[in-house]
Amino acid sequence: MNYPVWDVSFGIGILMAIVSVTHVFVSHFAVGGGLFLVLTERKAYRENDQTLLEWLIRHTKFFVLVTVVFGAVSGVGIWFTIGLIHPSGTSSLIHSYVWGWAIEWVFFFLEITAALLYLYGWKKMDRALHEKIGWIYFGAAFMSMVIINGIITFMLTPGKWIQTHAFWDGFFNPTYWPSLFIRFIFALALAGIYALITGTWQKDEALKGTVVKWSARWVIPAFVVLPLVAWWYIHSVPAHVWASAAGKMPTATRYANIIVIFSIITFVLSLITLLKPRKIPFVYSLVIVATAFMTMWGFEFVREAIRKPYIIYDYMYGNSVFKEAVPGSAGMDVASLDANGVLKVAKWIRPESREITEENQLSVGREIFRVECQSCHTVDGYRSIRKIVNKKKWGFSSIYSRLGLLDKMFNGVMPPFAGTEKEKTALALYLASLSTVQETEEAAVAPKISGKEVFEQHCSDCHEAAPDDPLFEFMKQYDVAKISYFITRLDSLNEEMPPYEGSEDAREILAKWIHEQFK
Amino acid sequence: MGNLPLIPAADPMPLPAPLWLFKVLLLVTFLLHIIVMNFLLGGGVIAIVARWRGAKDEKFARLSRDLSKKIPSLLAATITLGVAPLLFLQVLYGQLFYTSSVIMAWPWFMVVVILTIAYYGYYLVAFKDQKNNAAVLGWVLIGSVFLTFLVGFIYTNNLTLMLTPEKWGKIYFQDPSGWNLNLTEGMLLPRYLHFMVASLAIGAFLLILSGLYRWKRDVENARFLIQYGGKWFMYSTMVQFLVGIWFLIALPKEKMMIFMGENLLATIAMLAGILLALAAIFVMSGALRKEDPRKGAITAMSLIGVVLVLMVIMRDALRDAYLAPYFKLSDLAVKTQFGVLLLFLVLFVGGILVWIWMMKKYFFGAQAAALKE
Repeated sequence: MNYPVWDVSFGIGILMAIVSVTHVFVSHFAVGGGLFLVLTERKAYRENDQTLLEWLIRHTKFFVLVTVVFGAVSGVGIWFTIGLIHPSGTSSLIHSYVWGWAIEWVFFFLEITAALLYLYGWKKMDRALHEKIGWIYFGAAFMSMVIINGIITFMLTPGKWIQTHAFWDGFFNPTYWPSLFIRFIFALALAGIYALITGTWQKDEALKGTVVKWSARWVIPAFVVLPLVAWWYIHSVPAHVWASAAGKMPTATRYANIIVIFSIITFVLSLITLLKPRKIPFVYSLVIVATAFMTMWGFEFVREAIRKPYIIYDYMYGNSVFKEAVPGSAGMDVASLDANGVLKVAKWIRPESREITEENQLSVGREIFRVECQSCHTVDGYRSIRKIVNKKKWGFSSIYSRLGLLDKMFNGVMPPFAGTEKEKTALALYLASLSTVQETEEAAVAPKISGKEVFEQHCSDCHEAAPDDPLFEFMKQYDVAKISYFITRLDSLNEEMPPYEGSEDAREILAKWIHEQFK
Repeated sequence: MGNLPLIPAADPMPLPAPLWLFKVLLLVTFLLHIIVMNFLLGGGVIAIVARWRGAKDEKFARLSRDLSKKIPSLLAATITLGVAPLLFLQVLYGQLFYTSSVIMAWPWFMVVVILTIAYYGYYLVAFKDQKNNAAVLGWVLIGSVFLTFLVGFIYTNNLTLMLTPEKWGKIYFQDPSGWNLNLTEGMLLPRYLHFMVASLAIGAFLLILSGLYRWKRDVENARFLIQYGGKWFMYSTMVQFLVGIWFLIALPKEKMMIFMGENLLATIAMLAGILLALAAIFVMSGALRKEDPRKGAITAMSLIGVVLVLMVIMRDALRDAYLAPYFKLSDLAVKTQFGVLLLFLVLFVGGILVWIWMMKKYFFGAQAAALKE
């Protein structure tokens, strides 16, 4: 809208996912692993275990190569990537939290320096100094998490910031503390999990046994505490936001299930290492790494999924449209776009597309798709809109009516369409041009269609087949004939509902099916 | 609206501190970044050359080994010190910078990938260099240095594209997929070379600094380092005069004029920069003929330190001259966040003190001193 859209056919979201999930899996190790290094160093000296110390020196090298190189570069990489795929959101985060980022940078700088000195200092420093550098490393790494956690949680639950726009109101927001604990505990678990990688690589079985047992002491308690903190986190997220992950929306729910399943697997696999710690093969550690990765991936994805349709909750939508006007938002809020038109307000519209004519409707529709929809959808790649309109068998009128209730569909994961009626028509025409369904077909009957299929086609964008859904709660008191009658009058039952557009036969089938559900 | 440049609106959030503070932080952190970046690039090139000469002369082989071991840490420092100016750049010029980045999104994104590959290449050379794999690792080093120079080239593309909003619409609407660079820009090549040749000159200081650090332990090696580094500095600075002139005349006339009297500060900075750089060459050349070149070398480096400050000021003046038709920084609203600003300043100063303490302990600590003997 304000910025050009990076038009990537396969979908920029995937790029973001790859960069960010691999980064967090390393950056949390960078925090927990710092504590692990110092405490293992102390343990080795205390128990006078020379082989453990020598392993730790090798492990430090591994730690630096993973965190200082990949961790730091991919962290900068996230910043590069969000700037490319969501400049408006990035700009908001930078402008609201410059001093947060600047403070984080101070710690980042200390962190990187201390990590390198800790590595090179094994040979050059005396014990006490070396350990001090290790503590500085851990302190700085931990503090950088303390800062960034405030900004990430702000995006999901900005709290009072929405009214005040004050730094600390957004920083210490409702999910700040539970999120910090989840991240820190996970970081401790990862310290043990990464240590298993270099630990199980060792040939010396006694050493391997020592490292595996010591690592398990980091992983197992963490996974015992995690469910409690997760419970706290869930309860800090406003109920209507969390609803997406609790069965109301397939993607978020799926990721929530992934967390549960893979954290249990990781926990059990870690317990098993204690049976024969000296015999754990290297591959086994990689399996644990993979299951822990899935857990982390699930967590970050749930967070991203339940934040929809916003990039910053209640402030800016995923497609960079402001929820409400703020001073300086340059007319890029929903109400102003509805009144003035996206073609007039958006910056990056081709000059010839500023006015809609008979001839250019389709190409203008394509442009509106780019500025309003392409932050999440693609034509043929990720969340392909062509696939969706064809799977749902939508033609122009179905699409047009649905554009009017985007924010109601799928438990509200999409922002509303913002723009004039003419623009909505142009977009609907463009989307309909991707559909193989003809207007006449749309209303025609498929002879053996089931009630469930009719429901999927006409109702499931906003309703789910569940007893507590308003549709079923309302209809259950009536008989088939009455239900069928109500279906003809949907828009008068609730003005937000589009009229039923299917055939009469299909309507009868649907009415019968609804009547039979949840008796 | 049709043919006007498409400049996004500035972010609605006001600046959380006065403009001058951001400008100072931007320029100071950029200066620090550019110095270590020069060490990295120049050090990389010198490491390659010294490696090649090292086949016949052991002192070059040793120099190359020494440099190769330092490079990964220099890259770490370059990235870390690069984060701050990139942050302040986005605060002040975000709406321009994000736009040019999106227009050339793929090359810009590839910076991250290229840097990761180069980084691991440097570590491979630093950790695994042995006689039996010397040839392969020589190529790895060349590859990594090449990739690092490539990153610089992508940066120059983006930061020049950012200054020319009038070109954006045409490039973007021709290809919105992000496969663009700014190759038609007249100042692109001389500007890039101006930075890269500077890297050779400043990178040579890495050798001189090592020489100074080693002087008391190993005079002969230290003298070689200062001599050899001094030569790199002098020859590349001479080339730099030519590149600098090319850069200046490649600018559009009205931009060139800011250094010709139109902007007093920029004009003085350029004249003083030229004179001081000339002086530095003379001082260095005098020092290299002496038994103990240390004093002259330090003087020359200090003069160049001042030149670098002047260059950063000139670069900033040029940027604001380019943007003048479109955008004035002073139009940005300001609402200072005093509490957290104070917290930043305290932590910044504290962080610097802790950093100095760590470096001092590492390089000049008791045990380090004992090891020297």
